[in-house]
Amino acid sequence: MNSSIIRYILGYVLKMEAILMLLPCLVAVIYQEREGFYYLSVALLCGLCGQLMAHKKPASFVFYLKEGCISTALSWIFLSFFGCLPFWFSKEIPSFTDALFETISGFTTTGASILSDVEALSHCALFWRSFTHWIGGMGVLVFLLAIIPLSGGSHINLMRAESPGPSVGKLVPKVKYTARILYMIYLGMTILEVILLLLGKMPFFDALNTSFGTAGTGGFGIKNDSIGGYSPYLQWVVTIFMILFGVNFNAYYYVLFHNLKKAIGMEEVKYYFFIILTSIAIIFFDILSISKGVFDALTHASFQVGSIITTTGFSTMDFNLWPQTSKTVLILLMFVGACAGSTGGGIKVSRFVLLFKTVIKELNSYIHPKSIKKINMEGKPVEHEVTRSVNVYFITFMILFSLSVFALSFEGRDLTTNFTAVAATINNIGPGLELVGPTQNFGLFKNFSKYVLMFDMLAGRLELFPLLILFHPAVWKDLFTCKISSKKTEA
Amino acid sequence: MFKPKNPIKQGLNIIIVGCGKVGITLIEQLCKEGHDITIIDKNPSKIQTLTNLYDVMGIVGNGASYSVQMDAGIESSDLIIAVTDSDELNLLCCTVARRVGNCAAIARVRTPDYSKEVGYLREKLGLAMIINPELEAAKEAARILYLPTALEVNSFAHGQAEMIKFRIPEGNLLDGMAISRLSSSITNKVLICAIERDGEVHIPSGDFIMRSGDIISFVASRKTAKGFLVEIGFKTNQVKNTLIIGGGKAAYYLANQLLHAGISVKIIESDKARCEELSVLLPKAIIINGDGTDEELLKEEGIGYVESFIPLTGIDEENIMLTLYARQVSKAKIITKINRINFKEVISKLDLGSLIYPRYITSEAIIAYVRAKKDSMDSNIETLYHMFDYRAEAIEFRVDKKSDVTGISLADLSLKKNLLISFINRNGSIIVPSGQDCIKVGDTVMIVTTHTGFNDIQDILA
Repeated sequence: MNSSIIRYILGYVLKMEAILMLLPCLVAVIYQEREGFYYLSVALLCGLCGQLMAHKKPASFVFYLKEGCISTALSWIFLSFFGCLPFWFSKEIPSFTDALFETISGFTTTGASILSDVEALSHCALFWRSFTHWIGGMGVLVFLLAIIPLSGGSHINLMRAESPGPSVGKLVPKVKYTARILYMIYLGMTILEVILLLLGKMPFFDALNTSFGTAGTGGFGIKNDSIGGYSPYLQWVVTIFMILFGVNFNAYYYVLFHNLKKAIGMEEVKYYFFIILTSIAIIFFDILSISKGVFDALTHASFQVGSIITTTGFSTMDFNLWPQTSKTVLILLMFVGACAGSTGGGIKVSRFVLLFKTVIKELNSYIHPKSIKKINMEGKPVEHEVTRSVNVYFITFMILFSLSVFALSFEGRDLTTNFTAVAATINNIGPGLELVGPTQNFGLFKNFSKYVLMFDMLAGRLELFPLLILFHPAVWKDLFTCKISSKKTEA
Repeated sequence: MFKPKNPIKQGLNIIIVGCGKVGITLIEQLCKEGHDITIIDKNPSKIQTLTNLYDVMGIVGNGASYSVQMDAGIESSDLIIAVTDSDELNLLCCTVARRVGNCAAIARVRTPDYSKEVGYLREKLGLAMIINPELEAAKEAARILYLPTALEVNSFAHGQAEMIKFRIPEGNLLDGMAISRLSSSITNKVLICAIERDGEVHIPSGDFIMRSGDIISFVASRKTAKGFLVEIGFKTNQVKNTLIIGGGKAAYYLANQLLHAGISVKIIESDKARCEELSVLLPKAIIINGDGTDEELLKEEGIGYVESFIPLTGIDEENIMLTLYARQVSKAKIITKINRINFKEVISKLDLGSLIYPRYITSEAIIAYVRAKKDSMDSNIETLYHMFDYRAEAIEFRVDKKSDVTGISLADLSLKKNLLISFINRNGSIIVPSGQDCIKVGDTVMIVTTHTGFNDIQDILA
């Protein structure tokens, strides 16, 4: 295995994090906050480590899927580790575990917090929290691919490991330009949201952070009541942008560069909107009686549906108090998640569509046992490999999910809390129900449970396998033997 | 904060249809040269593997279909290259592409039926180029047979000049001679442009001393080349007869050429029906129906005293084994055709003599075309050869316009290192340049260099 390229990529990731961490320093300067120094020092530390790791060029730039997965998984772990240091050093989050939880929750765009009073945080901490969403949303390595000159062709493996969805394609022949186009769309839409929020008289700092949270489908609010305190106009803007960021970004590429017809014709996007509209309708009628009016019910219903299906996790009200039907719909939406190729998490609409079609095919095969039929998706036959990997993904997801719920059960809390806590983290959403509901936080868990949930967040964001591969004995063996042999050559 | 730039396209948008052997070579090479490549193949697993290996976009489907071509972005493409197994499909691909998009088209057509009509097809279908790897391989083999001492013979300037590669034997006149002494003691019409020693390629300066075992490439006009070889003690008579194993397309093309040049040809082919076809196509050749790998048959057909032996079967392993066998039992000049390029290093260490890689011949021609298309401001690439396994390039430029290199004596130009101007072709006469010569508009100039990616004659300047 080519462990030197992994080291090199990790070095680059850290250097980039160092640069990105200068932004909260800037915020600290503007608001004249002392905490900025912690960010500056961690940025320097991070940059130094990165420089050390990326200093020596790797012997070979060739890497395969396994190297891609491993460097992705390790990058995220490193990022989170360094990202949490400022919280910890500045004592704004006194416990290391909590700081790490908060950062992982940020980078994986989960938005699950351990803080009960976010308004007490400094501006730079709030900014960094929200900014991690923005970085994590589209992916760190995708960003890296857009800017660093890696020659050779195997980087698609990096992108494949990081981008959500069952199959990752390119928009244009080169990975670099694909990554750039994606980031351009991402940046453009974020700026658009900031402008629209500013038009609704939201303060600039709030607008920026809310947009970061929306763009990455993260969900860290900078107010204790999340988005609840803002005007209905702002809530609607956030709703619409949450839903837009949950759409497969290929659709925007088609809108921008090709033709509208192709974008509208995307099967996954159609199902995505179908699910959203149906859910809004169900919840709307369900909560109509307990709301202040039709408009109020519609606002809350659509905001909550948009927030949960895109796995953002903002809230305008405590949906824990809603009727059972609405709560159940929201829980189900948690698992569905956004479209593949978006910034959202969850199992993804396209996987569900495929699973659904597989079930129909299976049923048909009972009626016509000898019939042969290929499953179609986006007008093209789906390879057997893809359906297989979707099935395996689903099963693995369920196993990991059950194990995590089991692990949490030792703390003796009710099943709804445990179940939704895992659902909210593994799907990168944020709030669950009961004790982890929108008005609550994850601070109540013990350290062990927090680490389980952190693992779930990372696994959910990286789509399970890139993270799980780290536990494969062959990987350890390879990394270990590589190190020894390289030491030998050094000696 | 990072501001994404507009994707600036530096390379061309190229669509490659068909990911066979030639297709893969093209993908590899064109990727290296920084073009934006989309590949089309019917086989999804092939596309999967290749998109993992190279930075290209893959599309599964029939390359000749309009909708697949649209998916591949034919409208904004600069070039489509069709290299599927089927000639008809390749031609159809290009025809459709010409109608849909505004791009140049290159097709591979290798069936002898069409090969006579290549010019007509190209003109009527509006293609930029039709390539025929088998025919090119046959031509190269034929050139070597005309001059059996050479390991490789490449022609430049429409056949006016030749680049010849040979190995210096033990005790040769050149052994221990410095290159600067060559012009004074033997001839000044020959230029040694590259030397491979111990696996390294040198572009030699005047004080470079040649040794036996070196593989030398020199350039000279066609007439002087033979004279030079005679002078340093080689026999230069063309072979009188040849034995070809395998009766495929390449064998047909080769036999046809050799028969025209008065060399008698014997072909051993195992398929009876194919033998009958060949006997109709090549009435002058001796066609033998039998297993070419059968030792007894080879002896019976005179492998011991034949002057040249060319295994052209479709299986590389067979070709190599036959070559090794022939080297033991005869003194014939042997040319081995290698189809795949895997294990190339091992093969080159076997010291098989002359090797022919049809894949490379084809891709060289296409890459020359692509480079010329990419930058055709002041000059054009006429021909391009990769020498010594891609470690050096020989490029022939046509100089169309005045530029920084024209009108200045070569001694006054500051050229890049590891670069040599091998000849200047002025109105059909080959000038082996000295420091006083200069490049003029209308010349074609050949350079040999270990740099890669030259598009323009001005690239030679440091």
